[in-house]
Amino acid sequence: MADSNAKPVLLHYRGWRGTLHGDGVAATFGFLGVQTTLFALAALVPSGLVRLGLLAIFLANFALVTRSRAWPIARVALLMLFRRRLFWGLYALSVMVFLCYFFGQYLMSWAQGLLGESEIRVGGVTRVQPKWLLETLRDTLHFNGSALTFRDFFWFEANTVMIALAFSGAVLIGNDLRFGSMAFYLGKPITTWHYLLGKGLAVATFLNLFTTLPAVVLWLQFGMLESWDYFTEQSHLLLGILAYGLVLSSSLTIVLLATAAWLRHTVPLIMAWMTLFVFAQAVSTAMVDGLRFSPRWRLLDLWNCTYVIGNALLDADPMKMRPSPQPAVWEASVVLLGVCIACLSYLIPRVRAVEIVQ
Amino acid sequence: MGGPTSGPGSAFASREPILLCQRLSKWYGAVRGVLDVTLELRGGLTGLVGANGAGKTSLIRLITGQLRPDSGSVHIAGVAAHKPAARRLIGYCPDVDAFYEEMSGRAFVREMARLCGYSAPEVRRRTDAVLSRVGMTDRADRPIRGYSKGMRQRVKLAQALLHDPPLLVLDEPMSGIDPVGRAEFVTLFRELADQGKCLLLSSHELDELEKLTDHVVIMSNGRVAAADTVSRIRERLVSAPLTFRLDVQRGETGRRHRQLAAQLLDRVPAIRSLEVSEPSDLVGRLLLQTETPQAFLAAIHTLILEEWYEVQHLQAVDESTAAVLEYLLASRR
Repeated sequence: MADSNAKPVLLHYRGWRGTLHGDGVAATFGFLGVQTTLFALAALVPSGLVRLGLLAIFLANFALVTRSRAWPIARVALLMLFRRRLFWGLYALSVMVFLCYFFGQYLMSWAQGLLGESEIRVGGVTRVQPKWLLETLRDTLHFNGSALTFRDFFWFEANTVMIALAFSGAVLIGNDLRFGSMAFYLGKPITTWHYLLGKGLAVATFLNLFTTLPAVVLWLQFGMLESWDYFTEQSHLLLGILAYGLVLSSSLTIVLLATAAWLRHTVPLIMAWMTLFVFAQAVSTAMVDGLRFSPRWRLLDLWNCTYVIGNALLDADPMKMRPSPQPAVWEASVVLLGVCIACLSYLIPRVRAVEIVQ
Repeated sequence: MGGPTSGPGSAFASREPILLCQRLSKWYGAVRGVLDVTLELRGGLTGLVGANGAGKTSLIRLITGQLRPDSGSVHIAGVAAHKPAARRLIGYCPDVDAFYEEMSGRAFVREMARLCGYSAPEVRRRTDAVLSRVGMTDRADRPIRGYSKGMRQRVKLAQALLHDPPLLVLDEPMSGIDPVGRAEFVTLFRELADQGKCLLLSSHELDELEKLTDHVVIMSNGRVAAADTVSRIRERLVSAPLTFRLDVQRGETGRRHRQLAAQLLDRVPAIRSLEVSEPSDLVGRLLLQTETPQAFLAAIHTLILEEWYEVQHLQAVDESTAAVLEYLLASRR
């Protein structure tokens, strides 16, 4: 069976003398502990510079994830996703929102330098007063590097992210359960928790490519346009962006894993996801804005719950939230936590049973 | 190196068994998957045969730790099968063909090697070695999408060999492989067994497994119906009593079934008992226990052709023995 000129080297071979990586449970908890401590310290220290240093270590530590036993699973899932044209189409849509903010901030910075002039020519098409342009960019569109900029950016990314997650759910996890690929993973010396962690890492990476990563780039861009002091004075915004990203990643990852494990097929998954995030949003909007019911009806919309929590994490003015009125932060947190617990309580027995028999 | 032993009274040799299943049972709700299976493997090649739904796949999943037993235990070289540590000792080649089609065979095997916990250079070395071992070196960089069934089986086998496990559990490893490929696989399996590995191969076809090994475990209805060398099972079956139920048209006289009973008593040696009943006006029933089931089957075959008996139903009542018989007869056809 072996190639005629190749002497098999493995199965008649010397015993491997290296050390196998452990199962990584202690390392995983250690990593989570270090990251939580770094993040908590970054939130507590008054100095912007120290905070930036701590956040830089926090972000750099994520490189260690690639050494995890779960990373090969995440890597395969992401590679499968990156090979699909649909992913790149949706990512292009998401990048358009980012570019709108990117050049909007650039436009504002440019307009600020022209305040002395009575009129400026925009895009070679029309002439406007710099003051009017500045007010529009700053007060209406919030292209000013404030907490509102990043909060709105996350909000506008909602639709693309939801569609992308709905389509990717089956690729990331549903197909493994449906076609039995899990048997390959579970035949290896890993636990089902490694499997779930790997898939969770893939979803979280995917989600952050759409949301947190571009938001951090916008924060860096505004600092470079404005002044270097922006980085230290507004370092709490970076903290808020990362916290918002963590809330989004953890909650949506758990919800996606549970729905994908339950439904497995792409079409039902898309339908369920649309019900959760589009239909629920429409119902809540109709209830609150149309029928003038309590703003608590907005709690039906999970993305809105993350929006309310994200607004608080970015320390943005709650009165400037759109749409408004909104439920309280604690109410949104309770709903999101409840959904996550419900999803986990579905996933845990499923993981423990490891019933892959049809 | 030894074959399988089965039954609660199996005596252990001095060396620790590589696979030890003790009174293993698994139920899926009201459906029986595996019932009271005791099995001990110490090395060599062992075949696992049984009809669809006989419990082969459930047993394999219990052995590979993917399912937990409702009662009983499975140990791989002394380690409980459901623990991840046990999976370092098992190489599992599933029957499913659920690959990531866009990946190349090499990339797939490499990712599987990473999951074993090896360092990057070791991952590369092992990937190259196992692909060479299964004869896929020159085709490993093509996407799996374009692979034939045989190439897919080779890739599956390669990922099972990655961590050089002492126990290899191969679910239908030769399905869809052409005769040349089969011969290559047989050689490879023998080489692996000669190196001291324990191989458990499941298959529907006993004659296919017979070419590889005498040792077989025949499963029926979730139980181990027989576990020994094929020749010894045959010997035991010759003297094992088997009960048949036979429904025959009574004919115009209403006594045709009684005539058949008399002729069977004449022709079949070692009939232990014969019970005649008339469940309806049209049908007569014989319940016959014989120590020579093959002689009985030959006799009934001749009588149907010569005397035109209208047999409506013929069934071996003892399911386990029937399953063994069915396999042995099928392998001789």
